Amino acid sequence: MIDSILLVDDEDLFHLVFEDACSLLDITLSLQSLTSSDEAEKLFKKWFKEGPVEERPECVFVDLNIIGSSFDGIELIRKINFEYGNNVVIGIISSSNESEEQANAIKAGAQFWIIKSDDIEPRLEEFRKDYDGYKNRTAPFKIYK
Amino acid sequence: MIKIDKKTKDQLLEMYKTKKISLEGNILKVIDPDGDVEFETYIKESIEKDKDNRRKRLDVTKQVQSKNTDLVKSEKENDRVNKQLKSALEEAEESNKAMLVAKQEAELALEDAQKAKIDAENARIEAEKARHEAEQAKNSAVNDLELMQKKTQFELIGNIVKVALWVILGVGITTTIVYVISLFAGFNTDVIGSSWVNIMSILLTNAFSIIGTLMGMKTMSDNKDQRQP
Repeated sequence: MIDSILLVDDEDLFHLVFEDACSLLDITLSLQSLTSSDEAEKLFKKWFKEGPVEERPECVFVDLNIIGSSFDGIELIRKINFEYGNNVVIGIISSSNESEEQANAIKAGAQFWIIKSDDIEPRLEEFRKDYDGYKNRTAPFKIYK
Repeated sequence: MIKIDKKTKDQLLEMYKTKKISLEGNILKVIDPDGDVEFETYIKESIEKDKDNRRKRLDVTKQVQSKNTDLVKSEKENDRVNKQLKSALEEAEESNKAMLVAKQEAELALEDAQKAKIDAENARIEAEKARHEAEQAKNSAVNDLELMQKKTQFELIGNIVKVALWVILGVGITTTIVYVISLFAGFNTDVIGSSWVNIMSILLTNAFSIIGTLMGMKTMSDNKDQRQP
């Protein structure tokens, strides 16, 4: 089970879907949801400079296009990986399946790409199985279709 | 894991039995029953109940999300159709404007054509007039030419007549003088007398003939002038 998860997605309904799916699949007990990449950046900046480190999530799911934010999900991943160095497991969860964006996500340090759909549970379950690899930084980038 | 004291457990169990109210959420997954079978059953049932609720909520949320997605798609489609309609309307308005411009241009062209027709008609009338004037000028020139020719002819005829009359007069006078001299000089005038008579008669005849010819020619010329327009 993942200790804590942070979801960054502008769609409130998906927060509910994700929370229920994670609970039913026993993926995590602690889930925090944010609607903008700016809020997420603020939190990571705080954890990086002031701490406490324990408050930071173990895994972060970021939507690709976050409406109402200053920058998109790939930029958020880049900032978390290269500016705030929190060493979290991080990836994209989006309905998009564009290879160009996926290549950009890899460059930013994303470890996975989960494609959103009505049937999200099987993908999350598969992700849970691969999670240890992501945590140990041994699993390659993977797209969950 | 969290351990709960006996009093709290009993209260939770009592609440569940009497009012069917139980704990919900992930907190259930971190509570340690600590060997209490009844409380363990309570925790399991509560977790199942929570899962059922979450499953139902997940289904409903997915349905709502799906409808939302459909609505967004419909909205996008509506926007697309609206844009197409707007574009078609703009194109129709542009076509209408173009048609009005073309109509105005056609009307102007028609006016120009009518003006050109009137101008052409005027030009034709002027050309007709010019042709008529040219014909008149030509006729006048022809008449002048004929007049000049006649004048020349008359002058020539007049000169001829003059010369002829002078010749006749000269011959008549000379013959008369010779005859008179012969009479007064006492020469034989038989031959010269008859010759003088003959010459005089010939001269008179010729003179009348010339005058008659001239009169005839003048009459013919007058008749010809009257016949011409």
